[in-house]
Amino acid sequence: MRKFKEALEAGEFLVTAECGPPKGTDLNEMLKHAKDLLGKVHALNATDNQSSVMRVSSLAICKLLLEMGHDPIFQLTCRDRNRLALQSDILGAHVLGIKNILCLTGDYVTAGDHKAAKPVFDIESSQLLQVVNTLNSGKDMAGNELHGATEMFPGATVTPEAKPIEPQLMKFRKKVKAGSRFFQTQAIYDIENFKNFMKEARKHNVKILAGILVLKSAGMATFLNNNVPGITVPQNLINELKAAGKEKALSTGLDIAARTIKAVRDLCDGVHIMAIGMEDKVPEIMKRAGL
Amino acid sequence: MIISKQKNLDEILEAIKDNNSFFLVGCSECASLCGTGDEAALEDMKKKLEEKGKKVTGYFVAKTGCQVLGTKVELKKFKNEVEGAEALIIMSCGAGVQAAVEIFKDKHVYTANDTLFLGNMTRFRVFDERCSLCGECIVNETGGICPVTNCPKGLLNGPCGGMNNGKCEVDREKDCVWVRIYNRLNDLKRLDLIEEIAEPKDYGKHTKPSALNSKKD
Repeated sequence: MRKFKEALEAGEFLVTAECGPPKGTDLNEMLKHAKDLLGKVHALNATDNQSSVMRVSSLAICKLLLEMGHDPIFQLTCRDRNRLALQSDILGAHVLGIKNILCLTGDYVTAGDHKAAKPVFDIESSQLLQVVNTLNSGKDMAGNELHGATEMFPGATVTPEAKPIEPQLMKFRKKVKAGSRFFQTQAIYDIENFKNFMKEARKHNVKILAGILVLKSAGMATFLNNNVPGITVPQNLINELKAAGKEKALSTGLDIAARTIKAVRDLCDGVHIMAIGMEDKVPEIMKRAGL
Repeated sequence: MIISKQKNLDEILEAIKDNNSFFLVGCSECASLCGTGDEAALEDMKKKLEEKGKKVTGYFVAKTGCQVLGTKVELKKFKNEVEGAEALIIMSCGAGVQAAVEIFKDKHVYTANDTLFLGNMTRFRVFDERCSLCGECIVNETGGICPVTNCPKGLLNGPCGGMNNGKCEVDREKDCVWVRIYNRLNDLKRLDLIEEIAEPKDYGKHTKPSALNSKKD
């Protein structure tokens, strides 16, 4: 299997998934899930204190994924680090052999489990993309020469289901301008809407991986709607999960994910499967989607 | 104006527990508009302290409590009351408290208030924050609306992915400021102002504590 950047440049249909670092030092479960995905995905994202909940650092997990044989995507948010820490971590990623980076602003601290934390947001996603390209050019943000440039492959996120969409598209164009080479979108449910988004996206030379968020129950979908920024599961899917009943809800959720993948397959450049807490189900989803 | 809110009484009593007699100072500017430093607030505080067995030697509402020299002059009229008190309780913003510290070198100075933000009064004693005194105003590029203040993340380049139906990720009751900015500039046909990527802010322009001498030479 080609590495992420090579596959992207070769125009392959890309498949990426996510690895949620645990809260605590016991990595057994996470590493087992990651191992199950070896050879099945082009890259594996390591999330960065996802939903503002404190966990093992994404950089450390990326290094472990790399040693396992994965091509990791280093998720880096601006919530917890100022510009010194961000640049330092990007240099750190490079020297550890990590080449892909997903530049994020980050959820606000009150979404998570350390609500009294000082939110940093010294810079933000579009500026972080510029920073990556600056470091790649051999300089830092202050214009100082680096002894050795980075070679990071920068990507970002976009929310095609944002309402209203125009300000989000403005931001998308800024991220493209800032040098983002690929986008892993927030969860896609509305295919017609996604088609419209792709019309805008296709004006730019960037690759779009549709975000597939795996649902396991109606309760989970409702929880996501109420607690996770940027996610809105439509009512018809919640009803479908509810109608499936307790026993079959998970299988229905996997079907929804698989059928969404099939629906977007010819529209974009790949999929990014976010199976929060159900990483072990990713191979099954891929099988059902015919990937 | 500077928005302040009175601390709860237990917290005030705990802070002042080592002293028994007090002179109270309010402020006729912001703290009066907030109801935290006007005459009524001072009278109320006097009553509550006396109920708890404390002595209040007197009180006065400074014209502008953060103005050190003016307040010092005004206080001359209350020389005896001040001298008769072990300590002062200032009922204004944090600037007023520290003006008092400068004036009263040999007395304890306590605050009765928490100082919250620079605010607009939208209705009587209803305030919201629209400017955070960042030292580098960018509203000429953002339709006159400040994203540094009105976006919890202070984003300079558009909404985050948490914006939902035009509402803010952090407070679903609040409109996303970037949707407001976008709509306003769209109406004014000036979206060109936010097309380019805004540079990171220069926090070097706001190293605390700030100081300014704007006197002409």
